[in-house]
Amino acid sequence: MSTPIGSDVARVDGRLKVTGAARYTADHPVDRAAAAHVVVSAIARGRVRAMHVDEARRQPGVIAVYTPLAPLPIHAVPGFGENYAPLQDREVRFRGQIIGLVVAETAEQARDAAAQVTVEYEEAPARTSLSAGLPGLPSPGMSPDGPSPDPTLLAPGVDTIDDALRASAVVVETTVEQEAQSHVAMEPHGITAVWQGDDLTVYSGSQAPQMYAMLLATRIGIPSDRVRVVSPFVGGGFGSRVPVWSEAALAAVAARELARPVRLALTREQSIVLSGHRPMMTQRVRLGADRDGTLNAVSHESAAELPAVGGWPEIPATETTGVLYRTRNLAIDQRLVTMDTPPTWAMRAPNEAPGAFALETAMDELAVALDMDPLELRLRNYTTTVPSSGQAWTSKRLDECYRIGAERFGWEDRDPVPGSRVDGDWLIGVGMASAVYPAHAEPWPVRMQLRDSGTVVVSASTPDIGTGTYTVASIVASDALGVPIERVTAELGDSALPASAPAAGSRAAGALAPAIQSTSRVLIAALLDLAVRTEGSPFRGLDPSALTYREGRVEAGADSASFAELLGMARLPAVEATTPVAEPSAAQLAAHGFGAHFCEVRVNRFTGEPRVSRFTSAFDVGRVLSARTARSQFVGAVVFGIGGALLEANPVEESGRFAAGNLGDYLVAVNADVPPIDVTWLDYSDTAFSATGARGLGELGTVGSAAAVGNAVFNATGIRVRDLPITLDKLIGRGETSALHRV
Amino acid sequence: MPPTDPSRERPRPGPGTSRRQSPGSAGAATAAGAVPTVAENAPTATVESVGENPVEVSLRVNGSRVRMETDPRATLLDTLRDRLALTGTKKGCDRGQCGACTVQVDGRRVLSCLTLAAALDGARVTSIEGLADGDELHPVQQAFIDHDGFQCGFCTPGQIMSAVSLVEEGRTGSDEEIREHMSGNICRCSAYPFIVDAVRSVRGKVG
Repeated sequence: MSTPIGSDVARVDGRLKVTGAARYTADHPVDRAAAAHVVVSAIARGRVRAMHVDEARRQPGVIAVYTPLAPLPIHAVPGFGENYAPLQDREVRFRGQIIGLVVAETAEQARDAAAQVTVEYEEAPARTSLSAGLPGLPSPGMSPDGPSPDPTLLAPGVDTIDDALRASAVVVETTVEQEAQSHVAMEPHGITAVWQGDDLTVYSGSQAPQMYAMLLATRIGIPSDRVRVVSPFVGGGFGSRVPVWSEAALAAVAARELARPVRLALTREQSIVLSGHRPMMTQRVRLGADRDGTLNAVSHESAAELPAVGGWPEIPATETTGVLYRTRNLAIDQRLVTMDTPPTWAMRAPNEAPGAFALETAMDELAVALDMDPLELRLRNYTTTVPSSGQAWTSKRLDECYRIGAERFGWEDRDPVPGSRVDGDWLIGVGMASAVYPAHAEPWPVRMQLRDSGTVVVSASTPDIGTGTYTVASIVASDALGVPIERVTAELGDSALPASAPAAGSRAAGALAPAIQSTSRVLIAALLDLAVRTEGSPFRGLDPSALTYREGRVEAGADSASFAELLGMARLPAVEATTPVAEPSAAQLAAHGFGAHFCEVRVNRFTGEPRVSRFTSAFDVGRVLSARTARSQFVGAVVFGIGGALLEANPVEESGRFAAGNLGDYLVAVNADVPPIDVTWLDYSDTAFSATGARGLGELGTVGSAAAVGNAVFNATGIRVRDLPITLDKLIGRGETSALHRV
Repeated sequence: MPPTDPSRERPRPGPGTSRRQSPGSAGAATAAGAVPTVAENAPTATVESVGENPVEVSLRVNGSRVRMETDPRATLLDTLRDRLALTGTKKGCDRGQCGACTVQVDGRRVLSCLTLAAALDGARVTSIEGLADGDELHPVQQAFIDHDGFQCGFCTPGQIMSAVSLVEEGRTGSDEEIREHMSGNICRCSAYPFIVDAVRSVRGKVG
């Protein structure tokens, strides 16, 4: 059997998805489920003075109305996602906060009754401006006890980064800003909560069912082994389904109080507010270089929104500017500004996408200042060790990505003079940028079974959020056990399964694959042991070392039996193994995925409308396990970056309200915005990273892709747009040097 | 120029009537030709209560007749999902902005979240559950698998229903035309290029 690893296998869950049979949060059938609808605050900060709920209570079908004055018991979980608990006090902390819950027989009744609730507030001034809160406090990063997220490197005799910049022959300074961005996974958030005695079963799309069970249990005050989270299909995550948000706790407790299942579906607008967003931020990058482009000084400062109710401690520079280029002097200063806004959370490449937009825009500006090819500038400052620590990488072949990507794209045809390529009404420009994203070699376990039906089953709590984990797990198990993929079943997305990797941080495939391989070896050993112990087995009494396992069969001499036959002889339904504990790796190596983006845009010289017309990306992620789902992930990630570059913004208004509460106002890329995307990858085994050599790839393509678009827009027009998104209003009527005016 | 889109006037067999006889795999187990009411065939997920001022409607859903009382506020989307247990049709925005709820009504694609069930008396509805012919997938469904036209799969039923209509309407003359006419269906995972590949591959084979 040839190895399925890296081949173009169709998604194993494809049929369920194209027939509508895949069950997402609200699709699981539950008897007697009551419907819940949340009531949210209309002010950004203050107190609820009074809530009038009598009219709502009188509405047909209404079962219960909960408010801060008639609350449900819920605890806060400080330090992860939100740090407050809804309905436990009268405080309003952000606009759109849950301040009530209506439960009724049907969703229509709950929604209409919720609209009958009126609220009186005592309003207080709200901090809704990032710039008003500058400079902010240092960001602790995700691990406050770990190393500083702000690495510094100063050459001997250099006192400050400002000194190093002053001593540089060429200096550029770039300040970029971006509004909040919303995940808007296609499936709005929701939950169905079902109690049986003291046990709670939750149907809810989650990126980490095991953690969801633990966090929800903490919030509602029960042991975590009493909670089961069922999440076989997840309608997109992008980070928003890592925490457990308030509505989940409310639905769970309401179901307990009412002694019947409760189904709660947030509206799209509620989901945008309550389920996290990428923080608004401002960044300044200063680069100082020698005349030949060698970097002498790199400074990256950032200030990002951190809601008072908690959220993501944004650090855009650590894993971008902190690792990407060799420099003699490096300074990073990342800050957070406390605001009265809805909670933030990681959104696809949470730190790296914004950080790379800042850095890679500045690098393009430096190339212009030096009159140098931007690709050559990157190669001039190529580094084989992490600049601040001197760590080597498990593997880094970014230079090959540059070369292959440039060749496929036709980078050598580039004209460095902005506005020099015109096709009718359209100005054409090209730009490039680098991609980098950390890889996590964490040991997470799986459970595997050989069943008497002839089937191999891989079980893990890790969900498939669309990334292809069902398919990847099936491919790796098929390869490891030599069994056709049709006879492999992956059971995923359930906290009752062995606790394994979350579908977050691009870590699922890279963690599961080595676990499946090592577990397969244990499983084979267990099967051979069974073969020599089982009465009636042709191998009974032999030494297991005399047996061989090949493609689902045990063999010795002329004797051969399939694992199904052996299990039948042993009258066992299955033989099972769990992942052996891995030896901790002694090597202190850095691990990242790398890539190079090349983008062509067309900007209408009369309307300023920017369109992406071509895109090529080349990636170094070590081994690719599933070509088809990897390609889809790469392409989807690049499009995520294109949307971030040209479309996505959710500004917080002075009132604390998100300007875009729906998919008509929050613009994401649609089909017509996306040209064919040409992606390729090196495909080799990074054996220093893991036994499988696969580093994970889901977020990498989102890093740097927005900068490639912006750099192409500059090449097309001579206009440098530093504030995302790059919309036509920023390209029309700006600057005397604009090619738009040379019509 | 005719006042209406000519493609809409072209006579063609209504989808879901010729090949398919039951509401779908997730729905009630209805015998072909039967005249079920919801009460007789209610699957476990059906919400029994229909609220106040109920309106009686008769529909043909995926080839099977359904007679039911409905809350006049109930959308076709919620009716399919909550009353008929046809949960393949998805609610992505509930205001006609994402396309995840796309179904066919009388052969035309509609946004079921903006369509009231009470207004559909006598209509033929085809949802994603009604596309396959038994175990045999509709060519568009198979094309989405073959070209990986999805990732998380949540928008997929709506994408496929739109794509089926696109092919039937003959709006697949070029990639640009496919992209334009598939742009009412948002895919946050951004499988767009692969959706275009899938639709292109069935051009001329169905419809």
